[in-house]
This record gives sequence, structure tokens and C-alpha cells, in this order.
Amino acid sequence: MDLMMALLNDMLFSAIPAVGFALVFNVPTKYLPYCAIGGALGHGLRMLLIHYGLLIEWGTFAAAFTVGSLGIVLSKRLHVSSAIFTVAAMIPMVPGVYVYKAIIALVEINHIGYSPELWALFIENFLRGISIIAGLAFGLALPVLLFQRRQVSH
Amino acid sequence: MSRTFSEEAQREASRLIIKTGQMLLQHGAESNIVGYNCVRLGKALGLDSVEVSLSASSMVVTTLTNEHCVTTARRCSDRGINMHVVSEVQHIIRSCEQQELDLKTVRNRLNAVQAYKHNRWLVVMMIGLSCASFCRLAGGDWTLFGWTFLASSVGMIVRQEVAHRHFSPILNFGVTAFVTTLIAAQAVTHDFGNNPTLAMASSVLMLVPGFPLINAISDMVKGYANIGVARWIFASMLGFSTCIGIIAAMTVSGVWAWI
Repeated sequence: MDLMMALLNDMLFSAIPAVGFALVFNVPTKYLPYCAIGGALGHGLRMLLIHYGLLIEWGTFAAAFTVGSLGIVLSKRLHVSSAIFTVAAMIPMVPGVYVYKAIIALVEINHIGYSPELWALFIENFLRGISIIAGLAFGLALPVLLFQRRQVSH
Repeated sequence: MSRTFSEEAQREASRLIIKTGQMLLQHGAESNIVGYNCVRLGKALGLDSVEVSLSASSMVVTTLTNEHCVTTARRCSDRGINMHVVSEVQHIIRSCEQQELDLKTVRNRLNAVQAYKHNRWLVVMMIGLSCASFCRLAGGDWTLFGWTFLASSVGMIVRQEVAHRHFSPILNFGVTAFVTTLIAAQAVTHDFGNNPTLAMASSVLMLVPGFPLINAISDMVKGYANIGVARWIFASMLGFSTCIGIIAAMTVSGVWAWI
């Protein structure tokens, strides 16, 4: 029951940023509900997967793959490319804090001098951030790669 | 459904195809979509083949019909991400496929596409709520939710004002991060909520260049490595600019929350 409440909380508070960023990307109003559903579904699924012991990178990959696949089904029905609603849905999962921490550590090494702690902070956050972004983007691209195989040209 | 084209008609068709590609590339579509839609439009208009060559800030299209080639190039300066334009262009191509529109109609419909923007105050409110939601997801209480909302909303107004004056996004992100962090740092100074540093971390998340980063990897994965790398570098520069803004604000306010 606690997990259910936590999941609902997670899904609600990730649907909001998905719509918020969709507005910044000027997604047409009629597609905004899909952004909200995609955002809630992706982040909620990732939370569940992490809860059951998966690493955050793989959780993100699986969530992005799921949203990406649904996006392709929708794009066939709506006749627009799926990126229009799936990218905004991915935004709540983008590891902004890790990326910022890595860059700030880097600037600080220059500012106050090298220390193993700062270097560790940079490397750990950088790798974590990059792996999550890679998992996210590759998970989103994979359904397209599976559906559209290379055309044999003459 | 190959048609016979006069030389002038082929030239006009080439102009239309590169215009659609240019509109898609300028408004943040990934390379795969740009190339695919140019080829689709060419087929719908009845050309034999369309070849598209993309780079980060320009594109070249060659059309072939009756063993006659037309090649044209366009510069594609960044106009900011606008999914409304991307979807409108795709709708035009689809109706061209289904109804076999003539060149003049396609030209008129492409020219009629306006870059729709959502109401700015709605965007301010939703971005404020978005960052506040990030704070909530990270475990912040309702006091911090409110403070993050305030910091991000003011930051978003600054971002819109700077963008409205056509400054470079790289400059814009630094200035916005500075203002946002300055406001969010007050939560730490006055010790609001359960973990005030969360407000500082969450409020600047509106500046994470998520769209360019995702596009960058999509492009690299789908065989457009050069554009992918260019997008990645641009996104990194936005990130660096944001961090310089954060560090400047932390120095001014004397609150070192990030590390």
C-alpha cells in the first residue's frame, strides 16, 4: 500500500514536469496529454524497477524503451513523428543534478586546486550522468531501430 | 506516380523540399526525421529521387527527375525548439501524399506555418511547478516546494526576457542560472524546510538541455555522428554556462551548497 502511494506520488510529480517542458518545446496542445502520460509512465516504471533492485541506468533504459515503443504506436495513429511527445516525457528522467555536480567539481578543481575528493566527485557524477543519458536516449531510439531496418539501396 | 517536370517546376519542387528540411532542422527535429520527410515529400511530388546531406547548421538537397539534377543548399540557423512547426510540416507532407497537392498549394501551406508559442505566463507557471515537482521528488517538503516554485518562476521570466532580446542561449542560460540560484540560496541562508539545498539543486533543473542531449544521442545512434557530436558540444556549452552562473551566484551569496 505504501509502495502504491509512493508510486502515485512519483507519477503525479513527474507528469507535471513532462507537461511543463512540453510547453517550453511548444508541443501542440492536443498532444500535451500524451506527454503527461508518457512522463508519469516512464518515471513511475523506473521508480518501480529501482525499487525491485535494478540499477538506475537500466531502469531508465527500460522505461525509455517502453515509452518509446508506445510513442511509435501513437505516431502511426497520429501521423507525426514520435519525438514530438516522447522527448518531453523523458525530461523528468534526465540526470540534471549529476551533470551539474560534475561540471561544478571540474570548475572547482581549477579554482581551489586538485584534491582526490573533488576528482572523485567529478568522475562519479560524470559517469553516472552520462550512463543515465545514454540509457535514456538509446532506450528511446531502440524501438525506431527495431522497426526501421536499413533499406537496401540499389 | 512519376510526373514529368519542367525545369522550372523541378527547381520549385527542390526549393519546397529544402524548405521543409530547413524548417524541421531549425526547430529541433532530429536528423533522421529531417532526411526521411524530405525524401517523403519528394516522392509525393513525383520526383524520381531526393538525396539529402545534413550538417549541424546547413543542408544540401539534390533532386533527380528525367535524368536532370537540381542541387540547392540552405543555412539552417537555430530557431529554438518548436514541436508545433515540426508537426505542422509533417501534416502538410501527409496531405501532399494523400491528395497530390500541386506545388503552389504546398508553397502556400508551408509559408502559412507560424511558429506557435504557448502563453508565456502559462509557461512560467508550469516551469515553476515542474522544478518544484523535482524538489518534491527529491524529498523536499512543501516549504521548499514553494520556494523552488518562486525561484524557478522568476528565473523563467528572466530567461524569456533575455531570449526575447535575441541574446545567445549560452549567455541566457548563465544569466538565468545566476538569478535563479541567488533566489534559491535564500532558502539555505534563512534555513527553510527540511533540506534547503534541494531548492538550489531543483530550481536550476529547468536549464538542463535535455532535448539537445537526447537528439545528440539519437543522431549518433542513427548514423548522423557529425550532427550528433555538434549537438552534444552545444548542449555541453549550455551546461557549462549554467554552472558558471550557479558558481557566480554561490560566490556572491556565500552559500556553497553543491559540493
